[in-house]
Amino acid sequence: MFILKKYKVPRKNKAGPLHEFLLFSAFCNKNNSLSASESLIYYYVILRNMANEIIARISIGSRMDQVYLPKNRPMALSIGSYVVVSPAIQQKEIKPHYYHTRQIEPIKAQIVQEIFRNIDAENVIIAGSFLEKGFCFEDIDIIVINGKAEGLEEFIEGNFGLKAHVIRMSQDALRAGLNTDPLFQMALSRFAAKERVIFKIQPEIKHKLLDIHLLKSKTLPEQFEHLEGKDKYKLTRNLFAIKLFLEEKTATKEKVSKAIDAWFGKGTVKMLSANTLSKNPFITKYKKAYRKVFNAIMAGISNNDKQKQAG
Amino acid sequence: MTSRNKLVRIFIGNAANAVVHKVLEKAIEEENLRKYYEKEVHNSFLIAKKYREMINPVGRALPESEDIKADIVKKAKQELNIRIKKGYKNIDIDSVSPATEKLLKKLKANKA
Repeated sequence: MFILKKYKVPRKNKAGPLHEFLLFSAFCNKNNSLSASESLIYYYVILRNMANEIIARISIGSRMDQVYLPKNRPMALSIGSYVVVSPAIQQKEIKPHYYHTRQIEPIKAQIVQEIFRNIDAENVIIAGSFLEKGFCFEDIDIIVINGKAEGLEEFIEGNFGLKAHVIRMSQDALRAGLNTDPLFQMALSRFAAKERVIFKIQPEIKHKLLDIHLLKSKTLPEQFEHLEGKDKYKLTRNLFAIKLFLEEKTATKEKVSKAIDAWFGKGTVKMLSANTLSKNPFITKYKKAYRKVFNAIMAGISNNDKQKQAG
Repeated sequence: MTSRNKLVRIFIGNAANAVVHKVLEKAIEEENLRKYYEKEVHNSFLIAKKYREMINPVGRALPESEDIKADIVKKAKQELNIRIKKGYKNIDIDSVSPATEKLLKKLKANKA
């Protein structure tokens, strides 16, 4: 019976299982030694051995995860042989849509794809410093539109070792945020989206909202010596994003940086970030800008209230 | 000014900011705006907490807690009064003191 194991199809005849089966049938007829069922088993074995593939599942282990192989398996997968493990199901390729992002490092592009693949939502937007050149980002800002985001932060931390800041919102809230919040507008001046999006920004000034955002920047003068360069830059950027918004200009990161340099002098953004700026001349100009923006906001609040009363 | 005193001053500034955010949150009628305020209240609380953790003793009440409380109340009221003068409505200036007390308790900065 185990003549079967020794049976080998000559190399030149290895054209396919059917060919092999015909050869084997001829061999059986000649020897008259095998039944039809035995030949069927043999044929089955040949097919399996020719496939040399097993679909198995990766299971979790204490120190290492593993794949269990059945004892009854193709000979090519015997003990000691080297194998390739690859996903059985080919993942659907997602082509992210990048907006105002000239270049992204390949590793970041891969992370973006993985994030998009693992979120079930109407759309997903990745924004913030993650999309800037280099690796000086703090976290990944992810906006999930009409979808689930449970466990997403843990997933990203577990798989990429990165911190994620996830915001869930509806399409309407996203639109409202872009229309009313300069910081949101600035954050979305560069982004990657799972689905194509077109934003039509119709600025709507909500003075009370701008007031709470501005309050953050108030503490810069007294904390100046204790803050790191990036924090000083963030607080200054916050103030100037609001200033631009009040002037009915779109707040993008580039425009805000230009406005800072125009107010304080060329090179201020770089020096702020590098924490090499001397305190006094900067703070004097900063307070002046703060007062100007604050007064404009207060005038707006007062006008709105008067209009409400008159209405 | 010693480093500790400087940190206390910065802590007072940030805590006053958190209190102002809290009081302004209550003055908001619009529901959508209120959500933003909640977020800002939380953020300013976290900044104040960061500075509180730099001041010794960390886990216990600060010896100068009464002075700190008075300074926070004064600063927060000053900030809110500017708004009232400029025509901001519905600001409850009386809620500054209890809000400060609550904040300091959360930050383990005052005597229980």
